[in-house]
Amino acid sequence: MADTYETGQTPQPVSFRTGLAIGAALALGAIAVRLIDSQRIAWMQTFFVIFGSLLIQALPFVLLGALAAAIIEVFVPIGTLERLANLPKPLQLPVAGIAGIAFPICECGSVPVARRLIAKGLLPSAAVTFMLAAPVLNPVVIASTFVAYRGRTSLWTMVLGRFGLGLIVAVVVGWVVGNRSPEELLRARPDERRAPLPLEIEPPEASWRRFFAHLGNDFLYMGRFLVLGATIAAMVQTFLPARVIDGVAGAPVIDLVVTMGLAFVLSLCSESDAFIAASFVQFGPAAQLAFLVFGPMVDFKLSALYMGTFRRGFYRTLVLAVAGTTLVGTMWLKVVVG
Amino acid sequence: MSVAIRNVLTARTDRAARRFSHARVAGGLVLLAWAALFWFLLISGRYNLYLSTRTSWVVPVGAVLLTGAAAGRLGSSRVRSPEPLSTREAWVLGLMVVPVVLVMALPPATLGSFSASKRTGFTGAGLATPVGDIGTGPLTLIDVAAAQTTKEGEEALAERAGSTVEFVGFVSRYADTPADEFLLTRYIITCCVADATIAQVRVVNVPPGRFQVNDWVDVRGTIYPVGREVIVDASSVQEIPRPSRPYITP
Repeated sequence: MADTYETGQTPQPVSFRTGLAIGAALALGAIAVRLIDSQRIAWMQTFFVIFGSLLIQALPFVLLGALAAAIIEVFVPIGTLERLANLPKPLQLPVAGIAGIAFPICECGSVPVARRLIAKGLLPSAAVTFMLAAPVLNPVVIASTFVAYRGRTSLWTMVLGRFGLGLIVAVVVGWVVGNRSPEELLRARPDERRAPLPLEIEPPEASWRRFFAHLGNDFLYMGRFLVLGATIAAMVQTFLPARVIDGVAGAPVIDLVVTMGLAFVLSLCSESDAFIAASFVQFGPAAQLAFLVFGPMVDFKLSALYMGTFRRGFYRTLVLAVAGTTLVGTMWLKVVVG
Repeated sequence: MSVAIRNVLTARTDRAARRFSHARVAGGLVLLAWAALFWFLLISGRYNLYLSTRTSWVVPVGAVLLTGAAAGRLGSSRVRSPEPLSTREAWVLGLMVVPVVLVMALPPATLGSFSASKRTGFTGAGLATPVGDIGTGPLTLIDVAAAQTTKEGEEALAERAGSTVEFVGFVSRYADTPADEFLLTRYIITCCVADATIAQVRVVNVPPGRFQVNDWVDVRGTIYPVGREVIVDASSVQEIPRPSRPYITP
């Protein structure tokens, strides 16, 4: 659909018959699921259960993120964010990173917030720093990391390491973004490319109407990528034996790359991933930290969200910068902590 | 004309000038479908099949938020300049309802023995089961699983050899499992089913051929930890219905 808008052509409007066809297809799908009896087909049952659970757990967080984004869009005066943008440049990135502490949102939710922040005039580099920092630095994530590692000698290495390295990676990536303009970063989105309403003739929409329009648009746009990401993650979890992954620990640097790859594949929510990381006792603290810092910034489901939000070139830069900085940071930690 | 009458007339003219936006109505219906799913999960208790007790709060919160978002979007779907809805976008929105249809149409299902071989063993060192817990009180599957992964835990569990235990789980078998044995398995989830790890003990001395793979059973017996493997010599094995909370959370 984006292409249609970009070329300026009018999209083919939906017809009543199409609506009926979609309804009929969904009804047929429901009947097929009942008839197939997935309980007899073990892989199908496993896939459906994991797919459903990922979405049920993650979608409310996407909605919370969309809610925060809609509040920022409609109710936060532009001046507030301009003040952040008016800070001295060297301070903007760290302050944007620290601002993540105040937003208890997970990674799915922070993407639309960052997009809105850019649309509202915040420096793109600061918005990217915020987007990457919020899912690692928010209080819920810090608390869950503390609970997961309580009673271990590596407790403070993990809690402080995650906070510190998360902030460093977010700031470094923001620095890599540099002075790129919003147009260089963001992929055009149909509902934002539409011509503005002729404000001089019609009064502006009421705030509550704009709020619900933004809330719904963000949720529906991000939600489709989450559905795609959950499909891939559920397929991987259904068909890839975990023991294959378990055997790789122990090799220097490889262990860091493996846990980062694992975080990418598993696509866990940052509020729960510490419990999984803590279960990888075969891996040392540095490798577990690589999992905890890289995962909330780059994974399967986030890649789908990033692809829908950012231009492809920027997505590549983002992945390389996050991976490179996380790798260097955790290698240093390995030297210091062992 | 008084101000009040003028305001009423302006409001009426404004309402008359508004038309339904297909895009907003379709999006509102998708939100409504997801809200219906969350209410369904909440009322039927099926959220227990997908989420841990630690994260089940997202279901009521999601139900309320999704209902509010759907109501707000549908309530504001009459606009002065309706946004177009393309055929392709309509199909994409239709695809977003597919998970709702799947979960609601699916009979109550849980992870079974199929994925047990694809799951990593539970290694809950320092998680919520300190060694002290293993040494005292009734042993749980979480205690056993956590003990299997640390040296201190292994030693603490070894001291409990000969204790009477009662575990609930489902039956798993591998190709080389003898007929009078099975692996009692239970999934441990911290967040949702995607995070599931397994807790497993070998149950010996069971009547051959009586229990099928994926049957839920209540096993009572005596525990004998042998290194990292934990054996339960069964004194009674009873088939039971699947518990309302099939997964356990540390």
